Amino acid sequence: MWTTVIVSGISLGSFYTLIALGFALIYGVTRNFNLAHGELLVLAGYVAYWLWKSWAWPFWLTFPAAMVVLLLTGLILQRIFSRLKEPLELNSIVFSFGAAILIQNGMLLCFTGDYRLIRVPALHQGLRFQNFYISYGQFTLLFLSLLVIGLLYLIMQRTYLGKALRATIQDKDAAAMAGINVAAMGTIAFSLGAVLIGLAGPLYGCIHYLYPSAGHEVTLLAITITIFAGVGRMRGVLLAGWILGLSESFAVIFLGASWREMVSAVMLLTLLVLKPRGILGNKP
Amino acid sequence: MNIKRWFSVVGLLLMVLWSQTGYAETIKIGEINPLSGRFAQQGLEIHQGVKVAVAEANAAGGVGGRMLELVSRDDQSQPDVAIARAEELCGWEKVLVLTGGYVDSLVGPISEVAKKYRIPYVASASLQKELVQHGNPYFFRVARLQGFVEPLCEFLTEKLRPRRLAVLSAATPGSTELAQDLEQCLKTHGLSVHLAEKFRPGTPDFTPLIGKLANMDIDVIVSAGFSPDHILFVRQLKENMLSPKAYIGPFGIAYESFIEAMGADADYLYSTCAWDPEFTLPGTDAVSKEFIQRFQRLFNRQPNTTNMHGYTSARALIAAMQHVLYRGQALTGDAIRRALTEIELVLPMERLVFDQTGDPRYYRHVIVQIQNGRMKVVHPPQRATGTAVYPMPPWEQRK
Repeated sequence: MWTTVIVSGISLGSFYTLIALGFALIYGVTRNFNLAHGELLVLAGYVAYWLWKSWAWPFWLTFPAAMVVLLLTGLILQRIFSRLKEPLELNSIVFSFGAAILIQNGMLLCFTGDYRLIRVPALHQGLRFQNFYISYGQFTLLFLSLLVIGLLYLIMQRTYLGKALRATIQDKDAAAMAGINVAAMGTIAFSLGAVLIGLAGPLYGCIHYLYPSAGHEVTLLAITITIFAGVGRMRGVLLAGWILGLSESFAVIFLGASWREMVSAVMLLTLLVLKPRGILGNKP
Repeated sequence: MNIKRWFSVVGLLLMVLWSQTGYAETIKIGEINPLSGRFAQQGLEIHQGVKVAVAEANAAGGVGGRMLELVSRDDQSQPDVAIARAEELCGWEKVLVLTGGYVDSLVGPISEVAKKYRIPYVASASLQKELVQHGNPYFFRVARLQGFVEPLCEFLTEKLRPRRLAVLSAATPGSTELAQDLEQCLKTHGLSVHLAEKFRPGTPDFTPLIGKLANMDIDVIVSAGFSPDHILFVRQLKENMLSPKAYIGPFGIAYESFIEAMGADADYLYSTCAWDPEFTLPGTDAVSKEFIQRFQRLFNRQPNTTNMHGYTSARALIAAMQHVLYRGQALTGDAIRRALTEIELVLPMERLVFDQTGDPRYYRHVIVQIQNGRMKVVHPPQRATGTAVYPMPPWEQRK
């Protein structure tokens, strides 16, 4: 049972990571609090579902399509976000809340409120070695989250673009004074974030299930993980996801299923008191 | 020019007055459902059922010669919005009666507003016992918790007799009460529950709980979650190759949409169902057929049990209004409320008689099992359309 709990905790954490990465990146660079994040992720899921169900596309091929659709949607949203005036965070909350309702109702109109599921039988088989069992779905989540975090790490640490993005995350005004095109960084962060949402959407439709108002919970989860990780800390997102996933899994075993969310909430509050800049954050 | 303007104003006023007079002759039925948000699908389905009942009554000449006008509002699946919409319908739109409503967290607040305005409210989908224990004389509903508990308890104690049983519930009032009442009933019949757990609806991962079930060697699982919870739970049971002898989900499985989403993995799951086009209440075949045809004409698909709950609640109100007019009384909230306590209807879903608390006396589900993508009634024996496959085949033996 213990291996099952550990594997499920880590794969759940990886799932959380993939869901939250797009939000963390966009918020980190642009300070736009995108409340439509969850709706965009569910939209990507619906794009994949539509291609898989209506056009019989192989599941794997729906990823690039969802990423392209989300990239275009993200760029449109970014154009509007970039016109918002100060106070930026508050205005972005109001605007993205409206966008979330609009997207949600659009999806309700197009796909009805039925629960939709992308069925990929191969992902629900798995590898068994004595007591250790991991499904291909869990393995995919783990692999993708590590791959994406690795790529993001390389971009952020080893390229000029990454340095410019990090500088923008740390201090927008100082970055602008150093000659970095802060507006362009915003567009790039939005594009990268949208592509990450496009990657997570089809997985969400396959590992979880889709319905038009599912985005609400996704957004809350992304906000929680971002706070947990510390703003702009991409590796922290993975660590935060795993810690949350594992603590939830162990809470079910030791305390019961009804304690699951309580344990996460207590951990988040404790962290906010002890390390207000997130799990990998420096001291203020 | 001035005379022209004068005539336009007078004309406009006359039109407004004429339209007001026209509206005064209709009977306004208020309906509040979650048409967007988390419960949008169920709300839309109830709304469709209500629309069929209103269309049916209007096609038959209305109530006492007056046409029915349905005034629908969306509560967005949020209790505070439900209150605002109920206030709007009762205070501003002056509806005569109220119907619709899905889940107790939305139905409860609406019932309180209805009580304040002394407007009868027949809820379409509500289970929490507390709602009828407050002595609200204006609140009625077409479903009750015991309609689920009794057949489930019978089925478990008489047919399955599990060795080790788990009863899981979602953290909602209806689901929690169902689990508690079921456990109590099983106990009185000598069957004990080995694991009772509560989870949040929409839980993203059931694997740790599945590990616990496997560790405890549970052979029958009753999970009072909702459709999405079953989607994830059953899929993760399969992923982990845990094959209980039976998986029973009282809510959210007996739907075409669920079977379509799950495909072959839905086979052998048990659920409960109040009505379905394939198994109507004995003696109601003709009215059921009529309802199905009208529904198909309006919405171009087969109705389901949630549609039927909407239809039943609206039919109760229409019958009560007819009853009031038949006795030569004025159509007031109090007269309709009294009529609701007296009516007896035989509807496709149930023989509808309200008890003194507003609960339906004869509402009762049947136990169904999905076999080859179709729902088969497996309990009670007198309504059975198939034989229960028990234990369900292990995952590794399925195609």
